[in-house]
Amino acid sequence: MTVSLQAEPIDVVAEYAALVGEAPGAAVATFTGYVRNHSGENPVGALELEHYPEMALRVLEELGQQAAERFGLLRWRIVHRFGVLPVSETIVWVGAMADHRGEAISACECMMDMLKTDAPFWKREQGPSGARWVASCENDGQRRARWERGERA
Amino acid sequence: MSITIKLFASLREALGESEFQLELAAIPVENEASSVINVASIKTALSARGSQWHDALNQPNLVHALNHKVVYLDAIVADGDELALFPPMTGG
Repeated sequence: MTVSLQAEPIDVVAEYAALVGEAPGAAVATFTGYVRNHSGENPVGALELEHYPEMALRVLEELGQQAAERFGLLRWRIVHRFGVLPVSETIVWVGAMADHRGEAISACECMMDMLKTDAPFWKREQGPSGARWVASCENDGQRRARWERGERA
Repeated sequence: MSITIKLFASLREALGESEFQLELAAIPVENEASSVINVASIKTALSARGSQWHDALNQPNLVHALNHKVVYLDAIVADGDELALFPPMTGG
């Protein structure tokens, strides 16, 4: 499975080992996102992630496949959690294997920039003064647009 | 003939509904000469439910997904389709 949606914490060690397997390609890059303990000046206790399961699976599979074609990946994987996630726990993991470091690293960055705006998840921060929906970030849109324009980071 | 409407996140919260069926026969069409129903006509029909619906559905940057793909107001809706409406996504 190259895409998994799950409520359970991501076992990043196992995911890395599975991606590398018996015969790794020359370059392996990964990214792990964790729940931040603050949002601007406000402390965060936990993150609630709502999602649209059927669409999330489809979108993540498509963007992973597009990254694989664009960067010539040998292997790739995306794991995204949903549900109530306490601070310092994993939210998302992406991994890419390629012949060269540029492709592996860029593929991870591209997959992350794309899923931030295209994957149907919505975050709600739980803090001392209650819960509030996280607004989408203009920077995320700009980062995504660069990939459309063919620019690299 | 009906479609499934799904609402997510702050939209779902504001309107108190996550999923319901909508009869296409009850949707006014924009042009009597064609019986095409598109996302725009669905939104107009739902907005008529009251000010809360109108305000929620007319917020800027609302996303429409038809059968799990992002579409725009001109997308044509057919019997059995699933139309999801939600605020901009914040994954990752």
